Formats: sequence, C-alpha cells, structure tokens
Amino acid sequence: MTDLAFLAFAFVTVIAAILAIEARDLVYGAVSLGVSFLGVAGLFILLDASYVAAFQISVYIGAVVVLILFTVMLVGPAKGDGPMEFKKASLFGAVLISLMLGMAGTLATTTAFPGREVCGSGCDLQLLSTTLLVDYGIQLELLALVLAAAVIGALTLAKAEKKE
Amino acid sequence: MAILTSPLFFKIAVFPGLTSLAIIAALVTWLDRKITARVQLRIGPSYVSPVGGILQSFADLIKLAFKELIIPAKADKFFFVAAPVIGMILAGGLVGLIPFSPETQIANLEVGLPVFLAFLTLSPTMVLLAGWSANSKYPFIGGLRSLFQQTAYEIPLWLSAIGVVMMAGTFDLLKIVEAQSTGWFIIPQALGALIFLITITAEMERIPFDLPEAEPEVIMGWQAEYTGFLFLAAQGAGFIKLYVFSALFATIYLGGFLGPAPVPGLVWTLLKTTVIIVLIILLRGSFGRVRIDQLLRAGWTLLLGLAIANIAITYIIIQGIPSI
Repeated sequence: MTDLAFLAFAFVTVIAAILAIEARDLVYGAVSLGVSFLGVAGLFILLDASYVAAFQISVYIGAVVVLILFTVMLVGPAKGDGPMEFKKASLFGAVLISLMLGMAGTLATTTAFPGREVCGSGCDLQLLSTTLLVDYGIQLELLALVLAAAVIGALTLAKAEKKE
Repeated sequence: MAILTSPLFFKIAVFPGLTSLAIIAALVTWLDRKITARVQLRIGPSYVSPVGGILQSFADLIKLAFKELIIPAKADKFFFVAAPVIGMILAGGLVGLIPFSPETQIANLEVGLPVFLAFLTLSPTMVLLAGWSANSKYPFIGGLRSLFQQTAYEIPLWLSAIGVVMMAGTFDLLKIVEAQSTGWFIIPQALGALIFLITITAEMERIPFDLPEAEPEVIMGWQAEYTGFLFLAAQGAGFIKLYVFSALFATIYLGGFLGPAPVPGLVWTLLKTTVIIVLIILLRGSFGRVRIDQLLRAGWTLLLGLAIANIAITYIIIQGIPSI
C-alpha cells in the first residue's frame, strides 16, 4: 500500500516536473511545477513528516508558484511561444546537477548527525523543534542568512534597473 | 455495502461532509442576504418559502445549475473551468479538518492547523488562474488584486494562529479544543483573535476586503465572465469559506464543542459558528470597502506588528515576564 502510494506520488512529481519544463505555455508550466510540489508534499506525508508537507504546500505552492505565475502573467512571453531549444549547455547542466545530487545524497546517508535520536514514525514535533532550534540553531541561522542574501540580491537588482 | 454504513462514509457524505456543506452554504447565502438587507432597511428574500424566503438560495441554486454555460471564445478553457471548481473543492475539503465534536471529525491530523492554513494559501492561486484564463480585462485585474491581497493578509494570519498553538502546545485541532477546557482562548488571545478575524475576512474576499470582486470598481472582478454552474462554483466557494472559517474560529478561539452538558457538543460548535458568521455578515453591512494600498499598508505594518506583539504577549502569559 505504501509502495503503491510512493510510486503514485513519485510518478506525479516526475511527470509534472517534466511538464513544467516542456510546457509550451508558461502558465501551464508554472501550474505543473505546483502539481510537482504537491507530489513532493505527498512524499513528505508518506515519510511521516506531515508538518513539513504543510509548509511545502504553503511556501512552495502558496508563495513560490504564485510569484512565478504573477511574473509570467505580467511580463512573460505571449501564449504559444515554443520552449527553449535544446543546447549542449543543458546536457552539461544535467551532468552537473546529477553529480551534485549524488554528492548531497552520499553526504546525507553517510553523515552521522549527532545529538538526537532520528525522528521516526509519529514524530514528536517538540523534539523536532528543539533539535532544529537548540541543537542545530547556528546552522539554521546560517541557512536563514542565505535567504537574506537572496533578498538583498533581489533588491540590488531591482534598484539597478531603476537607475537606467 | 459495508462501506455505505461505515461511520466515515456517513461523515464524508452527510455530516460534516458534502450534503450538509451544500445545505449550510445555501443557508449561509440566505442569511447573508437577509441580514444585509435588514441592515440596509430592506426586507430581503421573502417569496420562496414558508418563512422569510429561506428557500431562496436553493431556488437560485437550481436556476444557476440549469443555465447555459458560456465560455468566452478566447478564454483558456481548461483553467476557466478547472480553477473555480478546484477552488470550491479546496474550500469544502477544509471542513474535514474541523472537530465539530470529538466523534464528528473526518480527519484528525496531528498538524491540523498548519494543514488547514496551507490549503488556504492555494485558493488565491485559483482566483488568479480564473482571472487570467478568462482573457478579459476586469477578471485579470481582479485576479491580480487577489494576489496582492494575499501578500497582505497571509503572514499576519499565520502569525496570529501561532498564539493559539503556543497556548495549547499542539497543532492538533481536537487537542486545541480540549486545551480550552480551563478557559476559552479568546480572552488571553483577544488581540490574536481580532487579527485572525480581520485576515480571514480578507481571505474570504468579503466587504470590507472584497477588492478582487469589487462590483463598482472591477464589475465582480475575477467572476465577471462566469455564468451558470461555474458562477455558482465561484460564489459558492465564498459562502463555504464563510462557514468553514467561522467554524475554525469557533474551534480555536471559542472552545469549539465545549459547553454546559445537556446540550451536545455538536450543537455548541454550530451555535458558535453561527455567531461568528453573523458577526462577519454584519461587518459587510457596516463598513465600506478599503482601497488596495490601504489594505497592503495595514497588512504589512499594523497587522504584522500587532501579530508579532501578540506572540510576545502570549509568551509572557505562558512563561511570565522574562528576567534579564
């Protein structure tokens, strides 16, 4: 039953992700991306992390996809424009991304995260929050700095465009 | 046949699921029209029924369901049909998370409140898609307004709900109700409840925050091109939301099904929900529409600031004043 659900969610995620790239209409592409995120949320639920799934939905679909849609509708190309042509660069990109994903996967599986027990089935949210905010507090703050850097970068870009 | 007699099937099909949802949404529509009419010194619906035109919205429902469905020639047909329907399903599905009484809850999730709010964030997306797909000026403006509005209310909404979670120590809606057996959260969380009420009114697109469908400004906004059944779906979603959000408010702030013993818990929940519905309808009768810039400024400064202050107040209520 779980395997079947996993296969279904994985199928939806992958197919929707491919559609997101290949769709001729960018709005359809953005919505496919949203469906793909829904599939990821389903996978989180199967992993007993429904809390993460709720935030996956609210942040990635409720905010990220909406902003993409917004941008596409306001400034994107007209309906019917074909997708970008296949270039050698995309092949290079695919190799690079596979390498990075492989590295991240290897790191995640081989690193022994010290401190707390692994959050298993019926995960205790309080344990999760103390782990995140107390044991790995500094790492969390550093991750937040990455987001802050992104915001500062976006603001700089927006200001630079205004000057021209 | 065993599935037809199972309690879960009854809950999904009858109460609090589909059948009751349709009937209650129709009754809420009637209540909305009747109360607004009385506030404006009119009579409101009065013909179709034994008492006070109570069957008017059922008559409208039948009328709209049999009307011709017109899809504009240059519309994006898939999203034009899918967006309002998915929007209504999203709004209706949320009723499954509300504990009307310990026995009548369809899905008891450990993280009920975040899941509820997470699915809420999807409905402005559907409004945007609906507005865009009509390929027409006013619907598109309405869709974009819905998005702007979402950026204004979404963060204060989540932050005001955090106060309740801090008090109860859980995300589980059933346990949140049980945690209120010593006192309803509306008293320590008065500020949070006020912000929550304002932000859910904005989420429901009701006056004073009905900018995406403001009739005098953008002629019904994103709903302008809809006819027949799709118009019913677009309108119905609003009234389903009014019912479901009021039930959520009653659950997390007014003690849900808790109440003196002889009256069953279910009745208490519905009673409290009705009070909130009437309050929100009275807001519609009492206030004018705000401008989009006013709403955005209020959302990002006043509501956000107050919501953060509410978290600080809640911390002091729970932990006492921190000694530095």
